[in-house]
Amino acid sequence: MKAGILVALFVIAFITVPLFSLFFASGTLSGEQTASFSEIWNSSYIRRVLFFSLWQAFLSTLLSIAFAIVVARAFARYPSFPFRSFFLSLFGLPLIVPAVVAVIGIITVYGKSGWLPIGSNLYGLLGILLAHVFFNLPLAVRLFLPVWNQIPEQHWRIASQLKFNSIQQWKHIEWPALRESLPSVALLVFMLCLTSFAVVLTLGGGPKSTTLEVAIYQSLRFDFDPAQAVVLALLQLGLSILVAIIASRFNKIPDVEPDLNIKNPKHQSETGKLDKMLQITLIVFAILFVSSPLLAIFIDAARGPIISVLSERNLWKATAFSLLIGLSAATISLALSWFLLNASARASYQNKSNLSQWLLLSGSIIFVVPPLVIGTGLFILLADFINVFDWAILIVILINGLLGIPFIIRTLGPEIRQNTMKYQRLCDSLNLKGWQRFKHLDFPLLRKPLGLSAALVTVFTMGDLGIIALFGSPETATLPLLLYQRLGAYQIPQAAVTAAFLLIISLITFWLLEKIISGKTQKDM
Amino acid sequence: MRFFYSFICFTLLSISIPVISAESADKPTLNVYTYDSFTSDWGPGPKVKKAFEEVCNCTLNYVALEDGVSLLSRLKLEGRHTKADIVLGLDTNLIANAEATGYFAPHEMALENSTLPEKWTNSHFIPYDFGYFAFVYDKDKLKNPPTSLKALIENPDSPKILIQDPRTSTPGLGLLLWVKKVYGDKAEEAWEKLAPRIVTVSKGWSEAYGLFLKDQAPLVLSYTTSPAYHMIAEKKNNFAAAKFSEGHYQQIEVAGMIAASKNKELAKKFLDFIQGETFQKIIPTTNWMYPAALDKTELPEAFNTLIDPEPALIFSSDEVNKNRKAWVSEWLNALAK
Repeated sequence: MKAGILVALFVIAFITVPLFSLFFASGTLSGEQTASFSEIWNSSYIRRVLFFSLWQAFLSTLLSIAFAIVVARAFARYPSFPFRSFFLSLFGLPLIVPAVVAVIGIITVYGKSGWLPIGSNLYGLLGILLAHVFFNLPLAVRLFLPVWNQIPEQHWRIASQLKFNSIQQWKHIEWPALRESLPSVALLVFMLCLTSFAVVLTLGGGPKSTTLEVAIYQSLRFDFDPAQAVVLALLQLGLSILVAIIASRFNKIPDVEPDLNIKNPKHQSETGKLDKMLQITLIVFAILFVSSPLLAIFIDAARGPIISVLSERNLWKATAFSLLIGLSAATISLALSWFLLNASARASYQNKSNLSQWLLLSGSIIFVVPPLVIGTGLFILLADFINVFDWAILIVILINGLLGIPFIIRTLGPEIRQNTMKYQRLCDSLNLKGWQRFKHLDFPLLRKPLGLSAALVTVFTMGDLGIIALFGSPETATLPLLLYQRLGAYQIPQAAVTAAFLLIISLITFWLLEKIISGKTQKDM
Repeated sequence: MRFFYSFICFTLLSISIPVISAESADKPTLNVYTYDSFTSDWGPGPKVKKAFEEVCNCTLNYVALEDGVSLLSRLKLEGRHTKADIVLGLDTNLIANAEATGYFAPHEMALENSTLPEKWTNSHFIPYDFGYFAFVYDKDKLKNPPTSLKALIENPDSPKILIQDPRTSTPGLGLLLWVKKVYGDKAEEAWEKLAPRIVTVSKGWSEAYGLFLKDQAPLVLSYTTSPAYHMIAEKKNNFAAAKFSEGHYQQIEVAGMIAASKNKELAKKFLDFIQGETFQKIIPTTNWMYPAALDKTELPEAFNTLIDPEPALIFSSDEVNKNRKAWVSEWLNALAK
């Protein structure tokens, strides 16, 4: 248990020390030129950035949630839709598609010379909203869908006796059920949009469409104005904590792997042909919306300069860096989570539930603190002592490793707890511990969630354009950073090939890791 | 516990990667931080590298960033731990600020061959070329380009433009100062008027020019000398710079030596090389600027057909240093509206 407590302390220190350095810096730093902190605070630029951050997050949430409700309802009311479960797992894909890749897909579909050019200029609010809806609509659909399972059987029976039409069903049965999970899902989406960096960096970023996160990046990398970066980072931190506090009042945290089957389908589709047609149209539109950017990338890549992109040394160097960072972050993430979760389960087994909760909480703090804020703190903290660009890779690995912990707590946590409850007494009596216990007991039982966690954290880190944008440079470019540079230079065909390449590499890595770690030992389950 | 050890080993391994990769070279390496159009295949970079390596018994290593202002930001970010020996690609607008960082060493050179329009007096930076900002257009596609900055800004029907970000790019900063020179206190309103016709604000010159060549806008912020590239390298005569009646903002590009460099001898040799004939003769037809120490008669014929940028507009370096932050926020504000 000692190791677990040490890990918890390390994790807390790694997050709070940079934050303290921000607070400390806000006392001592005043921009190298004349601007003082109060001047920065009062500048209309900061206010505009703050407003835009909230405005785009609000609009993105509104659109994502509104469409998600309609689409989820269609999926719930039409359970016999062909390949339904395939399409619903397609809706899980945006979770692991790197943001830059999606952005390139969206540009290929909706851009000026795309399949379906909309609006005069995709770069700006329009593009940001499209990308955010692309990511969050499918997520929200998956989170809303289980709601229909919670509607009691007799509600439908009454509805059918009273011959409710579609609108009445919605008003009296579905909406009341949905209303409960609405705030937590909406807040989750709002938080994701508020801290979305890569999308705004690539599709916005002009003075008109800059969010706090992008402004932090710009004040460090463009202007080198640490004072402004600190003010922005503190603002962003405050906002995130505020949203987290509000979210904690709705204690219902959505599930990562929700149950998407509809259990009582027969009552729902009794509202006539017209209604059915409407539901089908909605489903088809949603599927097209989610799949078209991904399809577009592959189609464009197939016509693109494949050979010349693949023969570039930069691409392979970036691939190596991405794999190194992804695998290392996953290793660190798993190792830290492992100690945390075991210590927490052990504490709970010994009836020290406070300690157990505290250990879990320490691993989840990072969810509230935007990684870019930690990055800024580290930057300010370390710049005096080292050349931060030399250490970019290590910093990126560590921060992404920490980012994986809350996720692993969700996937691996319950199973470790269960194992401890079941086998702790047996292990104590056999004196089975440490490596031996891991090898003979835990690993064989936990292979499946371990493999999934490792694969997810690796792929997520490989595709992340966040911390690497802050610390990376041409010498340490990962694939997403390379993509960002191509996008910046508007080399869309080259970018499409690179994006398809990153997607394929990610999928192969995911598949391989799951296969190697999870193995095929599911007989006893 | 073994798990824990392997974790520690792994961490140590990842820490050692940057350290190992930094060492391992028998010849000394001169690190030159510069902008990406300098190091591109068609830019001066490859030729300069070849020529300098023939005389220096060293390896010349470029670190290429988006544009000139990024160079200065990068240097400040790295602080005194920078690996740069030379920074090449700052300009007159930035040198007071760069000098104030204390990272640069005085050059202690006489600069007798200078062919700059004015006498060069700065003690820390060596000029290598100069030019004048201008909007470039394709004569076949744009028949009536604006004839003054005021016409471009104030006529709501004037053509759309591609410009660069003054926070990263020296041409971007140049345009900001150009507008300031012409409009003074009214610059913010001028930018607000221009804003709807800005197609994109790119991070560096290369991106904006690339977009221009892909027909994304009829006008791009570049140099009066850019058409020479199309005449000489592409044998095309349809590109021209629009002459503005207020005059054109002048830029002198400079290089400086890092005081903390471990290769000071070599760095000094490189600064000498920059002033020499070999380097100067490479500049006109690769960087497409006027060389800073080469007689006018040595310039290619095409340079004689370019527009006359007079009167040259310029702020003193100190003045820019004092006001850059405020003026950039003014620009940000105007474009954010």
